[in-house]
Amino acid sequence: MMDILTLFVAAILVNNFVLYYFLGICPFLGVSKKIDAAFSMGMAVTFVMTLTAVASWMINHWILIPFGLDYLQIVSFILVIASLVQLVEMFIRKMSPPLYQALGIYLPLITTNCAIMGLALLAALKNYDFIKTVVFGVGSGLGFTLAIVLMAGIREQLDLADVPEPLKGAGIALIVAGIMALAFSGFSGMIK
Amino acid sequence: MPPKKSIGAEYLKGLWDENPVFRQLLGMCPTLAVTNAVINGIAMGLATAFVLILSSLVVSSIKKLIPNQVRIATYIVIIASFVTIADRFLAAFFPPISKALGPYVPLIVVNCIILGRQEAFSSRNSIGRSLIDALGMSTGFILALLVLSSIREILGSGTFLGYPLLGAWFKPWTIMILPAGAFITLGVLLGIAILIESKTKARSA
Amino acid sequence: MNLSARMIIVLTVVGLISGSFLSVVGLLTKERIAMNQQQEIQNAISEVLPATKTSHKVFEDESLTIYESRDEKDDPVGFAVYASGTGFQDIITLMYGINPSFSKIKALTILEQKETPGLGAKITDKTAFLRYWEGRNCEQPLSLRRPAVESPEDLAASEVNAITGATISSEKVLDIVNLSLERLKEIKQKGQLSSEEKNAT
Repeated sequence: MMDILTLFVAAILVNNFVLYYFLGICPFLGVSKKIDAAFSMGMAVTFVMTLTAVASWMINHWILIPFGLDYLQIVSFILVIASLVQLVEMFIRKMSPPLYQALGIYLPLITTNCAIMGLALLAALKNYDFIKTVVFGVGSGLGFTLAIVLMAGIREQLDLADVPEPLKGAGIALIVAGIMALAFSGFSGMIK
Repeated sequence: MPPKKSIGAEYLKGLWDENPVFRQLLGMCPTLAVTNAVINGIAMGLATAFVLILSSLVVSSIKKLIPNQVRIATYIVIIASFVTIADRFLAAFFPPISKALGPYVPLIVVNCIILGRQEAFSSRNSIGRSLIDALGMSTGFILALLVLSSIREILGSGTFLGYPLLGAWFKPWTIMILPAGAFITLGVLLGIAILIESKTKARSA
Repeated sequence: MNLSARMIIVLTVVGLISGSFLSVVGLLTKERIAMNQQQEIQNAISEVLPATKTSHKVFEDESLTIYESRDEKDDPVGFAVYASGTGFQDIITLMYGINPSFSKIKALTILEQKETPGLGAKITDKTAFLRYWEGRNCEQPLSLRRPAVESPEDLAASEVNAITGATISSEKVLDIVNLSLERLKEIKQKGQLSSEEKNAT
């Protein structure tokens, strides 16, 4: 129980997907201009990550490993992710149009989001069991959400500041991300 | 249809005008992740080049056969196959590099540069042009990785390709090897790239 | 031919071609990759137990793996313990050699770590950290000496030096070793140490 908890906290703070693993930078830079957009993206990512965690674990442990097909990991994971995102989009559009309004446009972007593929690969690499994989998925998604919402909050304020012309946009966002990464590295060593 | 570029221009655009990292802002995840040492940056650049060039060749050869609705899925399968080959090859013949690059080699499959090029270029151009385009983009990517990893390794460890460069008087800026250093260096480099671009535009205006 | 049929055919063909291609590549590289992993373990065992001629796995579970090492006369040299645990930043994986009576640690080597470069990462450094582990008495749990002392002789028999500026990483290594030592003694008691496949170095 304890190590599941530490895994969860570590995924959010210590080994934050964006600020430590450098995953999900494209949406992190692209969708972090407004807090509510950032939050929606974060929630969409967390949702897809959790589903991916489940699906990739099942494929890895029920099909790939038993049949010695681990070299098909990359192809199967990315196809699963692409299909999952497609299914999720269709499902949300039918089931809840307001939710689709909020999240829908971000979903296609998520397929090539390295964070999702990164999650599947890291969980497989670390050989987590099912529960740990799911916890890792949820935690990493929440960590991503935390990073992107914090970034959006800062960028909303930055809009009012006098940023030098060449640094406007991606440049200053990256520098801010660097400072955030520094701050988050203070969480290291938290885990007993 | 914009006029076709000369072969030379088709290649060179990947180095600066349409540099995938500095101008198109693509492929940032590996750029940040593996540039803590020059050897890692070069290895990642070469692996990505391998995937990009071969994928572009294949996509461009079969572009007429792929129905529009399934094109993304097809590109993904093709790209993922080449990535798997690159990943297995590294793990088998260069285990220390494979270890250092870790999960970032499989992540080449979601590197937006590769899928982006298939969608924007290889699916609409001849095999020859697609090859030149892929070569140009690869060179641009490798250059970006080289610049970033050189700065990070020289300032962060005082070495270049593992060889001590700056001598004992230099106290390494450890932050350069950490994530924070990666973000900040790339941000500053982006700013410099935009500055250079605007200055050259102003001069030729 | 109608669109749906064409879509399905294209996807199937592409899938089949990549599938076969990948199977070929996968099978060609499988052995080599497995060999590399084996080689890494063998190198580590030889490093922590230099007299090793052959070794074989005698115990394995998710937190620890134990190898028994024998010399060229087939006399037991000791055991190599492969263990991992949480470090300061990420997981640390290490291996240490221990004599057959579990009283002395022969040597320690770090296999994988992601500690802070220049500080915690010094746990892989022989001069700064690893040499203080040689010949430690481990009948009791080991303890950390800080501030660090210069020469190994100044350490008590079951003490190891902490790295200045990297106390936590040093502590984490200590914790991993102590925990695995406890488990090792438990496993021996329960008679779970068994000989499995032999592999010659």
